[in-house]
Amino acid sequence: MLLRVKDLSVYYGKAMALENVSLEVAQGAVVTIIGANGAGKSTILKVLSGLWPSTSGEVYFDNKKIEGMEPYEIVSLGLVHIPEGRRLFPYLNVLENLKLGASLRKDKEGIKQDLEGVFTHFPILRDRRKQKAGSLSGGEQMMLAIARGLMSKPRLLLMDEPTLGLAPVMVVELVSVIQAINKTGVSVLLVEQNVFLALQVAHRGYVLEVGKVILEGNIDQFRDSDLVKRAYLGE
Amino acid sequence: MVAGEHAPSGGRNWIKTVAYAGLIILLFLLPLFVDSVYYLHTFIITLIYTIAACSLRTILISGQLSIAHAAFMGLGAYVSSIFARELNWTPWLTIPLGGVSAMVVGVLAGYPLTRVRAIYFSMVSLFVGLAIVALMGVFQKYTGGDIGLIGIPPLPSITIPGLPTINFLSSKIPYYYFFLLLTVFCLMILHSLENSRIGMSWKAIAQSYLVASSVGINEAGFRVLALAVGCFFAGIAGAGYAHYNMVLTRSSFGFLSSVNLLIYVLVGGTGSFFGPIIGTTVLVIVPEIFRWLKTFAPFVFGGIMLLVVFFMPQGIAGLFEQVKTKFLHFQERKKPRDVS
Repeated sequence: MLLRVKDLSVYYGKAMALENVSLEVAQGAVVTIIGANGAGKSTILKVLSGLWPSTSGEVYFDNKKIEGMEPYEIVSLGLVHIPEGRRLFPYLNVLENLKLGASLRKDKEGIKQDLEGVFTHFPILRDRRKQKAGSLSGGEQMMLAIARGLMSKPRLLLMDEPTLGLAPVMVVELVSVIQAINKTGVSVLLVEQNVFLALQVAHRGYVLEVGKVILEGNIDQFRDSDLVKRAYLGE
Repeated sequence: MVAGEHAPSGGRNWIKTVAYAGLIILLFLLPLFVDSVYYLHTFIITLIYTIAACSLRTILISGQLSIAHAAFMGLGAYVSSIFARELNWTPWLTIPLGGVSAMVVGVLAGYPLTRVRAIYFSMVSLFVGLAIVALMGVFQKYTGGDIGLIGIPPLPSITIPGLPTINFLSSKIPYYYFFLLLTVFCLMILHSLENSRIGMSWKAIAQSYLVASSVGINEAGFRVLALAVGCFFAGIAGAGYAHYNMVLTRSSFGFLSSVNLLIYVLVGGTGSFFGPIIGTTVLVIVPEIFRWLKTFAPFVFGGIMLLVVFFMPQGIAGLFEQVKTKFLHFQERKKPRDVS
């Protein structure tokens, strides 16, 4: 298992955010966590990337215990978080944003190659490379955030609600982007409210409700699950 | 790579280089036109505070608004003076030493300070500054306490074979050149740091420390580094000042002085490297021009502040940027769009 989370609990003061959450991401898999607002989805990702302390529980990445590590140490292991919302440095230009994604890398040639790779993937970013990130459209910002994540040479990419505020046509685009990333051998842990997207790209899934995992399984089971249909697909 | 991608900026860079070179040459020729001791003194003070303000901006772009910068200047000044006075070390050695000690204290204070951000950082930094200034009041034998430190040696004269000896006591001109060289040197280092990956990381942290951490930037490390760099150059500026003024009083490095430095940076504009240079020049020289108003000088100062706040929220340097952008748009509109 690439990522193993065991009995993770997080409290904000006395308020419970997560309780005994266990989940796994296999090498090369796309795993999704779905749940409503406030279910604790983002909290999981923040704990994984070291941005928020856990109250109890264990997190192993590649069989290495990672909680308590500094965020930059975790990134250097290959666990890269693309935070939700304002995920960019709005006053830096596109190229600078991408270069910052490779903050911890020393291989100049590799960085150059990956930059070319990113530009081939997202040609619009090449055209906009001297433009301030804050002036990009929502869809372009999302692409830049993902591209910057890729510049860190991730082994596991944590994506926090990439569809937030995106036009429907961009959501479709995102499906192919995630699949393309996954094909290059990068595992993905995708947190989503947009269950359509989640069901299309993920192999495995977890449903989170008020801090607890109430359902887990392969994505086929999800599609047939009455619970998912009722709660998130409105059928 | 797209063909010709460097062409427009490359062309502008060329003009920029010429402009900077011209400005520096002009500054080097200045003593030929200005023989007033008083004016030279004002220019020297401007140069010293330019180093200090630019180094303060280095800390600012990492998202840390320090209200202790004058204290670090003072630290460099006192360390350099004490070593030169008590141990007879040459100022050529004690000035860098002053910079290093300001840096060391900056780093020591900086580590715990990385736990706080924004206004909390500013508040704690304020107390760090007050503590440093308080320290200058004790050990009176060495610091002179409230009376001040007198008898600081000037810069020793330089003898270069084949040239007349440069004596710093003869006039203000050698000092002017010393500080001009020092300023150019310090600013070149600060400028290249800002435009390196280090500077990019500083700006990233200022824009969002969470996102910066998530891309793998060591927030605490880079913040301490910004403090180290900023305090080092503040210490250098202060130490240089000490051997120019030859008298130090700790009140010149207190809270108000730190706030003044901040005002230099803010009025000039934090968004541009040249902001603090412009801000310092305007705010040191303009009050001198209005000196005849004497008691009303603070009002002139305040008036400038208000004008800047209302009409140039990005500072004076920001105003240049705005005008430039407008001008470029105007030019572009006149050109027919090339359809490719």
